[in-house]
Amino acid sequence: MNGYVEAGYVVVLGTLGTYGVTLVVRERAARRRVGQAVSSGPVAGGSDPPEAGVPAAGSARAGGGEETGPGSLP
Amino acid sequence: MSTPRFALPQGRSRALGALGAAALVGVAATVWLGLFVTPPDQFMGNLVRLLYIHPPMAWVAFLAYGIASLASLLYLWPRTRAEHFDRLAGASAEVGVVFTGLTLVSGSIWGRPTWGAWWVWDPLLTTTALLFVLYLGYLALRRVPGEFHVRARRSAIGALIAFVDVPIVYFSVEWWRSLHQAPTVLNPTTHKTYVHGSMAWTLLLGFVSFTLVYIWLMAHRYRLGKLEDLEDTEGLGAALAERRAEGEAA
Repeated sequence: MNGYVEAGYVVVLGTLGTYGVTLVVRERAARRRVGQAVSSGPVAGGSDPPEAGVPAAGSARAGGGEETGPGSLP
Repeated sequence: MSTPRFALPQGRSRALGALGAAALVGVAATVWLGLFVTPPDQFMGNLVRLLYIHPPMAWVAFLAYGIASLASLLYLWPRTRAEHFDRLAGASAEVGVVFTGLTLVSGSIWGRPTWGAWWVWDPLLTTTALLFVLYLGYLALRRVPGEFHVRARRSAIGALIAFVDVPIVYFSVEWWRSLHQAPTVLNPTTHKTYVHGSMAWTLLLGFVSFTLVYIWLMAHRYRLGKLEDLEDTEGLGAALAERRAEGEAA
């Protein structure tokens, strides 16, 4: 084989693999943080109902098919 | 009892898992065919094996920037304006930057033994490097603080401006005298394909496999972006609740 060929494959596959793993790890960490905040935070567990005309925090950004654009952001 | 008002992105998706598995199998098959099954080229020898990964990198970068531009356009269009288009544009552009970087590096590794230099100021290479810098600038622009829709709008405009360089990169080998060879597959001048047999199938598999890798990476980056937005919103909500509590106490 050729050293350049091997180097090319190692660089490409190594970079993509590292990037993919980094994304998955960051996603899991973010989900954990958000999950904790949702279960214990004042917004999720608070007793105050959302103000009239103001969507619940996160409803516009959280999505689930309900994203309505910047006009509805808190 | 508290009921979460947040809709968290689904932790595990079977479709995404299957996509990841298919991408992994496809890339493994491409590597196996590219390194061990296909014959050396008559002129390039074993260096031709780099071409099973280099053109797919460039193709995916173009695709990623195309998706980012389309999403940006949909965000700018008032009737279709939605946050997920801004997030999709950001996710696709980031993955595109990774693939553009790999295009430049894999091309450089191929160029050193072929041209005798790691880098030449060839029109195709130069415009590709410019593309890389333009989208790095776009990613930096996304991080400039500001109100959400202002930031999203200027990012969308930035993405569309950066995309102008994509056709320039593709046609640069025709428009200017270039050291780089013209496209081997669907040559824009002759409309012919200059690769056949097992080499053609391996190259095609490379295109498909790395496209699947792109979709998988982009989906995960999108989900991460959504979670980061949720964190921001949660932080804002917590700050509002704190201020409200302070007001009540006073």
